Amino acid sequence: MRTTLRWAGVLAALLVGLGLQTQLYAGQERTAGTVLMFVALAVAWNLIGGFAGYACFGQVGFFGLGGYAAAVLIIHLNLSFWLALPLAGLIAGVFAAVVGAPLLRLKGHYFAVATLGVAEGLRELVTNLPRLTGGGAGITIPTVGKEAPTPWLGNDGFYILFLLLAVGAVAVGLLVSVSRAGYALRAIHQDEDAAAAVGVNTTVAKTVTFAVSAALTGAVGAAYAFQQITIFPERLFDVDITVLMVVMVVLGGSGTVIGPVLGAVSVAFISEWLRQNYPQVHTFLLGGLIIAAVVMLPQGFTSYLADAVRTRRFSLLDNVRRYRL
Amino acid sequence: MAGQVVNQFAQATLYGLLQGGLLALVAVGFSLVWGVLNVVNLAHGAFVLGGAYVAFELNSWLGLDPFLGMVPAALVLFGIGYVLQRYLVNLVVNAPIFITLLLTFGLQLLAVNGMSLLFTANYRSIPTGYAATPLPLPGDVRVPVGRLLAALLAVAITIGLGYVMRRTRTGLSILATGMDRGAARLMGIKAAHVYALTFGIAAGLAGAAGAAVGAVSTFSPADAGRFTLFSFVAAVLGGLGTMSGALYGGLLLGLAEAWGGQLLPGTLINALAFGVLVVVLAVRPQGLAGKAFYAARVEV
Repeated sequence: MRTTLRWAGVLAALLVGLGLQTQLYAGQERTAGTVLMFVALAVAWNLIGGFAGYACFGQVGFFGLGGYAAAVLIIHLNLSFWLALPLAGLIAGVFAAVVGAPLLRLKGHYFAVATLGVAEGLRELVTNLPRLTGGGAGITIPTVGKEAPTPWLGNDGFYILFLLLAVGAVAVGLLVSVSRAGYALRAIHQDEDAAAAVGVNTTVAKTVTFAVSAALTGAVGAAYAFQQITIFPERLFDVDITVLMVVMVVLGGSGTVIGPVLGAVSVAFISEWLRQNYPQVHTFLLGGLIIAAVVMLPQGFTSYLADAVRTRRFSLLDNVRRYRL
Repeated sequence: MAGQVVNQFAQATLYGLLQGGLLALVAVGFSLVWGVLNVVNLAHGAFVLGGAYVAFELNSWLGLDPFLGMVPAALVLFGIGYVLQRYLVNLVVNAPIFITLLLTFGLQLLAVNGMSLLFTANYRSIPTGYAATPLPLPGDVRVPVGRLLAALLAVAITIGLGYVMRRTRTGLSILATGMDRGAARLMGIKAAHVYALTFGIAAGLAGAAGAAVGAVSTFSPADAGRFTLFSFVAAVLGGLGTMSGALYGGLLLGLAEAWGGQLLPGTLINALAFGVLVVVLAVRPQGLAGKAFYAARVEV
């Protein structure tokens, strides 16, 4: 019953998203598209970072890999974007499975730093293969005229694409959350040895989750690259994108389905609002906000609310006391 | 012809070692904080630049030499680091790792943008009369005096830190807290103070390194991420939490960059460096040299 309700919620969100589109004008539509993109990214990160508890700090590597894979497929093989998008996801997923096999044996900070190294290495590789990727000068996907396999989708088209990606990612998240795999991942998060002892194949569970998370991220990267037309390694492998995903998931509530969505929508909107109203100091304010939020809501908004309602203690100071020395 | 190649190789090796010595001082604080506090400090590169700007301002106001400026830069950054750890990072030190990573990332956003607002995003350098003067060595190899001085000071400070850690009460209490916080507290060590002290020392050393960086090259707030990444690679290569590990790791990184610059096109060496980092983490997480400090850690 509860599960049915949650699926109905996903469907309702899709319909609301489609209905909202008719009410927005072009500039708002672009912003909303970006917010939806971050919803998809946050939900994808939540699979490996939230459910399994593996802090992947190189997620932007899969985003950039997907974006560049799509660009290369469209430009050099003249593929349609609609073929390049799933292929980009597949490439990112397979890559994640290959590097994940050794790296997922690492724990905690070691995994975080190793994945960060993978993402930085990918960026340097893309910068140094100018024939294939255009190098640091960037590469342009043909979107108009006879050379374009797929014409640019326009603001409406990209809004719907990002909406579908976001809803698709949430559907995957929900599927994982209510399935046996979801319980396996939560068990791994709490105690990996105990999970293995009760019969969870931890290696397979972690590797598959990592690949699915990367595939979703790669597909979103492909859509982003096509929207941007000209892409640069500095932008597509920007470590800030990883950090935004993590901030969104942690503040919304990691390991839940709705948490990353709430986190992504609120953080993306606040960031956009700060950018428009305080262009000079927007990153400065964002940094301060991240610090305050992390100190006061370390367990995320959804978990805070659930605990606060149950115990009737709403003070944020209790949160600060929880993890301090 | 052959002589020229040998010369070029000798020049690159020497440059690599000098750069590596400086990187060791950049990385040693990062490694110390990771080893003792179990915090990966993403704001470390911003501390390096903070030190560079302190030395820069002292130089433009009072004409203070940047190598003498290492001392005030270290003191200012020590104070900042102590206060940050005592009143901010200590609040989340027991939280899951995303939390500390995000907190220090927030700090680095604040620091980098704060420095851009205060000092503009332009590239700066601290002028000295002698730093660029080449010191001719046999075989037509040349070294700028400033680079030599920076590397020697950096290596001396790094080795000195290792000595202080092993020989003084304060150093031993830091190591003890890193190994087993619960037991250290039972022995009467104030963990909150020791953590703040460790973070302060790390920030202070980064500040001193920053002043030296300012004397031998240009810097801008945008370089913060680069210095943090250098620290990552050097600390991981050498083995976390050990003072000597940062030294080996820094020298190795400097050499690899200098040789790679000669042999490989473009910045492909960076891709290689990250590749090596990932492989080292996957197969030898204790670093290339010896056993890791964390092997002795007891989690409480």
